[in-house]
Amino acid sequence: MGNSEKKKYMKKSEIFTFGIGLFGVALLTGWMPDYTQTYFADFAFKGKGFDAGVISANISTVFLAAGIIGAVIELITGFLIDNTRTRLGKVKPWIGFGAVPMVIIAMLVFCAPDTRNQTLAIVWMYVIYSLYTAVGCAVERPSECFGALCSPEPSERSTAISIASFMKSVGQSGGMVVIMVVGIIMKAVMGQQQFKNAEAQGLDLVIATAICALGFIIFVMIFFINNKERVPYTREKVSLKDAVKVVFTHKNLLMVSLTKLTGFGRGVYGTVSLYIAIYLLGSKDLKLALLLPMGIGTAVGTLLVNFVLKKFSTKQTYILFCVYGASTLTILYFVATGIGFRSELIIPFLILNFFCGIQHGNTNVTPNIMIADCVDEIEYKTGKRQEGLAYAGFGLFAKVASAFTKALGPWLLYTWSGYLASTDANIAYAAQSDSTLNKFLMIYTIIPAVFVILQGVPIIFYDMVGDKKEKITKALMERRAAASAGDADTPQEKTSENA
Amino acid sequence: MAKKEFNVKLYGILSIIFVALILGLLTVRTFITRYNAFDPGKTASAYVSTIVETGDGYGAYKISLLSKNSKFGDFIRNNFIYPEIYENYEPGSSTKGLKGLNDESLKGEKTKNDNGALEGELIDSMYPYYKSLIEANNGWDYYDIIFKSYISRLKEQRKEIFGDDYFDDETFFTCIESNIKTYGEELTGTEDVTDKNTGVQISSASVGEYQKKYGDDYRFTVEIKESKDTDVIADTALYDISPDSIKGEKEMILTVRCGEETVIDEIKVYAVKIGHSWFIDNINTDTGILYNFYK
Repeated sequence: MGNSEKKKYMKKSEIFTFGIGLFGVALLTGWMPDYTQTYFADFAFKGKGFDAGVISANISTVFLAAGIIGAVIELITGFLIDNTRTRLGKVKPWIGFGAVPMVIIAMLVFCAPDTRNQTLAIVWMYVIYSLYTAVGCAVERPSECFGALCSPEPSERSTAISIASFMKSVGQSGGMVVIMVVGIIMKAVMGQQQFKNAEAQGLDLVIATAICALGFIIFVMIFFINNKERVPYTREKVSLKDAVKVVFTHKNLLMVSLTKLTGFGRGVYGTVSLYIAIYLLGSKDLKLALLLPMGIGTAVGTLLVNFVLKKFSTKQTYILFCVYGASTLTILYFVATGIGFRSELIIPFLILNFFCGIQHGNTNVTPNIMIADCVDEIEYKTGKRQEGLAYAGFGLFAKVASAFTKALGPWLLYTWSGYLASTDANIAYAAQSDSTLNKFLMIYTIIPAVFVILQGVPIIFYDMVGDKKEKITKALMERRAAASAGDADTPQEKTSENA
Repeated sequence: MAKKEFNVKLYGILSIIFVALILGLLTVRTFITRYNAFDPGKTASAYVSTIVETGDGYGAYKISLLSKNSKFGDFIRNNFIYPEIYENYEPGSSTKGLKGLNDESLKGEKTKNDNGALEGELIDSMYPYYKSLIEANNGWDYYDIIFKSYISRLKEQRKEIFGDDYFDDETFFTCIESNIKTYGEELTGTEDVTDKNTGVQISSASVGEYQKKYGDDYRFTVEIKESKDTDVIADTALYDISPDSIKGEKEMILTVRCGEETVIDEIKVYAVKIGHSWFIDNINTDTGILYNFYK
């Protein structure tokens, strides 16, 4: 057993197909919220004579309602996953059997009913998007849980999670590529103006959704066929009381989840990015140019974390990236104020944006690895393995944090900064004072930097690392070996037969 | 008896096939339902509705023969704007290497430093002229007169406000599209507009001509009264469309109602089928009545 840490459990192809699966899930889930909003607002009921103000107000509450439903379903799914015992495992059935209804409902979101009844249209938006959110949660969360079950060996598991997280982050932007390619093909097939007319009906969105949905089902099924759960589930039933308890009372898990809350303000930069592009860099077209280097930085950071984790523990890695992230954001602030808000700022600003993006790789990967370690610790202490609830709890904290971010961002931007809206119909963006411009820059840099440091604080108290982690891993392996010697009917053995 | 194992591979493959079929069906159904060009009646209704609802004959051309071979914007550039920008420009030829009024060196200080205020002044100053063109020509059927006159006046007006000779296609599109929007708002009325982020009021509500005539909750509907094949020949040569590519021609009579009231009993619309799509024959269709029915 001395060399058990180094033992490889997963086939090489499994690491890849786990990533493919998460890529597929992200391709659809990354596409849906933004484009659904666009579809509902601009295309679903175009030409029906509905009150645009009423529709617009309802779209906001559709997403609010769906968010609440999603949070509840997330916890319920986590609880149900932990009580699932099948020959395929506990997580795989949710992904494999949930994928088909999810993909069909996602497509139906983009097939608005042909009605002139405004009430019916509004009810449809609530029902279809809530349904999508509910089914989506029941597939997306288990797909993330799978990382904790793919291998009993923590370092192999960490590698699989970080590669899958990288592919997931690529998949999240996949929809943007799909819509671009769909546009090019439609133009070539239909002609320029006919494409414009189809685009005006949102038909490019419908086709792009179908392609993302097809990609989703193909990639998820490749994962479903090729991957196996390699950590046997525990036999004890998990009660609802235990379920809630594990989310809020297990110290290490709580610390990982709390990073979301303490760091909630690090995302406020997104709210101000349009204004940074307009006022500081000189053109609103540069918003995409701003986000692109950051996105590339995030992808690079996601891969980089895997290498850092080979040298440092998860705790050290997390704190290291937090310090790095806060430093790059602070440097960006001082460089921008040093150069001044003029065209010479654009290039250094975009380059530094790339370096600022690298820190996001850490928040995409390391918590997922930590949660998997926490699941081991919980199993070690209680004898119960609760991936479902551990990831659901983390997801719940993330949703609450996201709501805080959405409230803080606009407040900072429109109230704290002293922003002046244009009242001249011919001027899109009114001139702002130097103090306001400086505050825009702070919302983009210094304020997120403070929250990046704060998100690292709970991790100081995280201790599932080093000797403790090794001891628990070893003890669990011995426990499982003893259990499988006494019980040949484990999912691991059954799924091995299928493979 | 041995229990049959669940075949994961078979399930995965069948799921992909099943989902691909459903996605294909839903996409095709949605496309056919929403894309008007596959149906002559829908195409004609969309054409009439666009004009009736906001007086936007300019936008209606996007589903006409005029836009069959090129984007509507490119058609205007090639035939009306570029000849005004470049000397000796031949419609359809390339503008690469040509020097014209859109040369950066022609931009004066006022153009370079404008934050949108002068552009706004230009747009506002062009509106009365735009409106007079629409009224004088009884709508948009004589688009060549409208484009030529509008561009000519716009160049003069721009020079007066900005103090230089610079002129480009963006200036034209920004101005005319703003004027078309204002014209539509005079018909439909507007509501108070506030900045959604700060709550600052940007513009006040106005009452439109349609509201004065038909009340606040008016709603126009367009119905096909009659549809038949026709021998009326579309002038396809005007838009470089081969007559051989025409697969069908229809003459349709449409009725426009506001609630129960018939506001236009008969508007004749001609449509032409090319490939699988229908296009409005804008040369033979007279839309004049659609701009005056409420008066």
